Amino acid sequence: MRRLRAPGPGEAASAATALRRALGSLRESPLAITGAAILAFWLAMAVLAPVLPLADPNLPLEPLRPPLSVGADGSTTFWLGTDIKGRDVLSRLIWGARRVLVWAGLATLAAYLVGIAMGLVAGYRGGWWDEALSFLANLLLSFPVMVLYIVVITRIGASPINIVLAVTFASAPAIMRIVRGLVLDLKTRDYVLAARTRGEGALWIMFVELLPNARGPLIVDACLRMGYTTIALATLGFLGLGLPPPDPDWGAMIAETQPMGAFAGHAMLFPALAVSSLVLGFNLLADGLREISLRD
Amino acid sequence: MATTRRGRRIHPGVERMKAQLRSGSCDRREFLRTVTLLGVGASAAYAMAGRILGEKIVDPLQAAQDAGRRGGILRVSMPVPEIKDPATFDWTEKSNCVRHMIEYLTYTGPDNITRPYLAERWEASDDLTVWTFHLRRGVRWHNGDVFDAEDVIFNFTRWLDPKTGSSNQGLFAAMTEEYDTGERNADGSPEKGRRMRAGAIEKLDDFTVRLNLSRPVLSIPENLFNYPTAIVHRDFEKNGGDLLAWPMGTGPYTIADFAVGEKCILRRIDRPYWGETLEDPFIGGPIHLDEIHYYDHGAASAAQLAAFASGQVDMTFEVGKDSLQMAQSVPGAVLYEVTTAQTGVMRMQVDREPFDDPRVRRAIQLCCDASVYPELVYLGRGTVGEHHHVAPIHPEYFPLPAFEPDLEEAKRLLAEAGYPEGLELSIDVGNTNGPWQQQVCEIFREQLAPAGIRLDINVMPAPQYWEIWDKTPFGFTSWTHRPLGTMVLSLGYRCGVPWNETRYCNPAFDAALDAAESTLEVEERRRLMEKVQRILREDAVIVQPLWQPKFTVASEKVKGFRAHPTQYHLFHRVWIDA
Amino acid sequence: MLRLAARRFGAMILIMAVVSFILFLIFETDKLAVAGKVLGPYSSLEQRELWLEREGYNRPFLVRYGEWVTDALRGDFGESIRFKAPVADLLWPRLANSAILAGLVFLLMIPLSLLLGVLAGMREGSLLDRGLSFLSILTTSVPEFASAAFLVALFVFELRWLPGTSAMTGGFDWSQLVLPVAVLVLYDFGYVARMTRASMAEVMTSHYIRTAILKGLPRHRVVLRHALRNALIAPFTVIVLQLNWLLSGVIVVEVFFAYKGFGALLYDAAMFGDIYLIEACTMVAVFVAVFSQFVSDVGYTLLNPRIRFAGSTVR
Repeated sequence: MRRLRAPGPGEAASAATALRRALGSLRESPLAITGAAILAFWLAMAVLAPVLPLADPNLPLEPLRPPLSVGADGSTTFWLGTDIKGRDVLSRLIWGARRVLVWAGLATLAAYLVGIAMGLVAGYRGGWWDEALSFLANLLLSFPVMVLYIVVITRIGASPINIVLAVTFASAPAIMRIVRGLVLDLKTRDYVLAARTRGEGALWIMFVELLPNARGPLIVDACLRMGYTTIALATLGFLGLGLPPPDPDWGAMIAETQPMGAFAGHAMLFPALAVSSLVLGFNLLADGLREISLRD
Repeated sequence: MATTRRGRRIHPGVERMKAQLRSGSCDRREFLRTVTLLGVGASAAYAMAGRILGEKIVDPLQAAQDAGRRGGILRVSMPVPEIKDPATFDWTEKSNCVRHMIEYLTYTGPDNITRPYLAERWEASDDLTVWTFHLRRGVRWHNGDVFDAEDVIFNFTRWLDPKTGSSNQGLFAAMTEEYDTGERNADGSPEKGRRMRAGAIEKLDDFTVRLNLSRPVLSIPENLFNYPTAIVHRDFEKNGGDLLAWPMGTGPYTIADFAVGEKCILRRIDRPYWGETLEDPFIGGPIHLDEIHYYDHGAASAAQLAAFASGQVDMTFEVGKDSLQMAQSVPGAVLYEVTTAQTGVMRMQVDREPFDDPRVRRAIQLCCDASVYPELVYLGRGTVGEHHHVAPIHPEYFPLPAFEPDLEEAKRLLAEAGYPEGLELSIDVGNTNGPWQQQVCEIFREQLAPAGIRLDINVMPAPQYWEIWDKTPFGFTSWTHRPLGTMVLSLGYRCGVPWNETRYCNPAFDAALDAAESTLEVEERRRLMEKVQRILREDAVIVQPLWQPKFTVASEKVKGFRAHPTQYHLFHRVWIDA
Repeated sequence: MLRLAARRFGAMILIMAVVSFILFLIFETDKLAVAGKVLGPYSSLEQRELWLEREGYNRPFLVRYGEWVTDALRGDFGESIRFKAPVADLLWPRLANSAILAGLVFLLMIPLSLLLGVLAGMREGSLLDRGLSFLSILTTSVPEFASAAFLVALFVFELRWLPGTSAMTGGFDWSQLVLPVAVLVLYDFGYVARMTRASMAEVMTSHYIRTAILKGLPRHRVVLRHALRNALIAPFTVIVLQLNWLLSGVIVVEVFFAYKGFGALLYDAAMFGDIYLIEACTMVAVFVAVFSQFVSDVGYTLLNPRIRFAGSTVR
């Protein structure tokens, strides 16, 4: 895997200019723009869920109404129909977006915090630190991911926090490896040596000199990982191990409708489209960002 | 005392039942069920009812005289679990795998009537504490050994030995006694165990055994068809205690091939089957099928249905309620529906906070508007539950006044109990027999909300739920169909019984149940049940929204199949119309 | 190379020891729960205690773990709680089934993704490249269970062309493999194709290839003779790593189609808490994970001795 050319110390730009530059270069990649647009759509839905005129996502109304049908009261319209339990599919879809973005985001964030900390220490300190942390990462990575999830969740329960924990367990080692590789490369740079001769502490060097310069590949990886985490959450939901019901979960929505097959195609199609499009958004953005970074 | 023409004693209850039928205080179905339980042959019972009611009642035996074609293989999609020891079976699927190889002393038909099987007939003492079983002569094991009293005594002894680990110990608790194991509990008190009482079973002759009970039990014949009570050969343990290693039965089939989690292949034995000369609507007559194949496509009914739709099997074990339309859409599919006393209860442990306060339990129960569940969960099928675990299809069911939900009263009780601001609860659900359990909890969550009770639903895999089913303060437990309502109440709600998951203990309830269980007259028993049902409902240990219907689907080629409320398979009369 | 192999082997043994110990710790400390699983949920406390005593569970934890390790080293992985059969009898047929599935997926996926990747990478930025990139990203974004549900609704219930489950109950049947293989190829080919494309694109822009083209050599000859060989090194490592995914990452597909493979066995075992089965399956999974990583690394260095490997592959 190729990685970003690390910018020199003089180039260290403020976060705002970096963002502007990133947005500017996004325009050059149609893939990235598509991805960003999809993500923006779902983000907007997730943020706006409480103010949109939606039915209560958990309230059973009329089971299995087709899309665009009008409710018995003559005034409600089920834009995407209702599911087998009589709940409004559109409402569940949008509230589900909020839930998946919050928990996939938190889970990825937690995995990154742990993974970055491990990677920085392993890469910068080297020696026994590196040996021990790399062994831990190898151990977790050679463990089948789904079994890791099942063992964690069946032993401590399927609460949102535990799912974050499970994702952290599964993802942090891979992030640690990436960070470690980047740090091994970066720590021989002049500006790191300069900082060291200035007498900066190890923590300063790790978080101020190394981490910002490793951000490029990490942002790309974070996008991909959000996609994987979204799939993982949906898969757990499908297997009945996901976020607790009855709040909407896209994977569980598919699982609930799957026994109905074509008789409730809409109640399965829309959540499937939702989860696929969200993952697609993350993947496209990641791909576009990587392309842009290679072009710079 | 009345005797039959051949001089056999007839239980005095039969005359009382006849009188009840005449006076109209019990109906035909109830009459048939009770007198057959007391040892009257099914055909004779149908004849008695016909004479009394002055109408021709068709014995299912005659109805079942359809042609039938010999040969063919019946393929069924059903989970194939391990089946080494029938005494420890804990799933219906396990017993179905070998139901046509090893047999029971009695059987309860799809019509809820219990008939003779390996036992030819039985009698009960007037006080229902002494039961005499006359075993069928001429039944042989597949190795040629004669089936006799030794086999039956061996099985009872084995079931009631704590080392076996059989749930039959609870079923025949009236044959056991408490004893000192010699060990000490953690708190230093002597450890107690249960074992068979000396003299609980005695051999009168080679083909007669007698059970001596410590208290009246009406349901002994019905208990003998509970899934772990299949009779194995007296040398079962000498041959390793493993049905697979030594497949020895009295039934029409034997295991030809078996792989856990994959398949169970039964092949017809190459010697005559004793039951082919038997006159019986469900298990008698010529055996048609050459082979019965069970294939494991996983427990999810969607996969079973997919196998059926693509012609990989002729029948499924169960069709989930969400797949009914799909099942019906398969060309040539016949859907079987059966009303059952299978149910699920949201049960509260009465010694755990906040459920130790009866007002809290009562408030929770008052939030439940059970009338909506059949429509929302089973699209109009199923029966509304009444929070006392006795089903309308049970013969002794007493129709209490309908339960009225009352939110205002619920709020008042909560405030009185010290929760004026409402309450946060969490219920454990394992979806142990399908996602309907979770759906029930989701609907109940909405019903609780207006009373200020917030219900979190903690879903876990079924095996995890079975680890905590009798430990969690608030959980959703499924209970299977039993032919009598009192059977479940005795198993689950008496003080200190092993399956008492709620730790409920009310001597008044136990006394009322004792009275009902030792009463033979249906009308009288039903009158007594009013008190039993009322106490259980008012003590509010369970919220029971509905009784489940069960569905299965078979190809139209499969003839002579009757769905059974317990999902037991009886394929003696099934044939394939090629 | 030998030193690398020895190091990896040593690490693997250590990982196996730690993993097996942790699993034992998680599942075996609650002895009564183990007995409950064997005797059924309705067994009484007394019955469970009798069973534990008889089976030797009341001995110290470390003694039991040590006993399991010595038995496992001799190839005896104990008896499955759920299936009540020796673990070895369950494990090997399932592994063979998974190998069949993985083999078919490879057979279809490798040519497909290499072809698409090379075509896209040859002309970076072309319409073909954009289209193929989008397609491969799209298919990778659809979760396996979602595409499986749709394929079943379409091909089993609507068109009635294909069998809906793949339990192979009536003996081996090719038609039952169509849907699971299709779902897996659909999900995975995009990833390998993108890796191939990136590698191809990089090679095509290298001085060496540019010079060759500038010298006037026919384009197809440059691609076939020079570019391909170098461009396939990176995909090779990725493909080898898919082996691990096909063994234990395809749980959902195997469960969905009731395919009697290793993944479904692992899932059953983990859901049931069937300790000896989990232990054995996990040991196999760890072995394959470490081994495929090793093959991938060795292959990479052998094929491309100039490059020092960083060994960081996301997935």
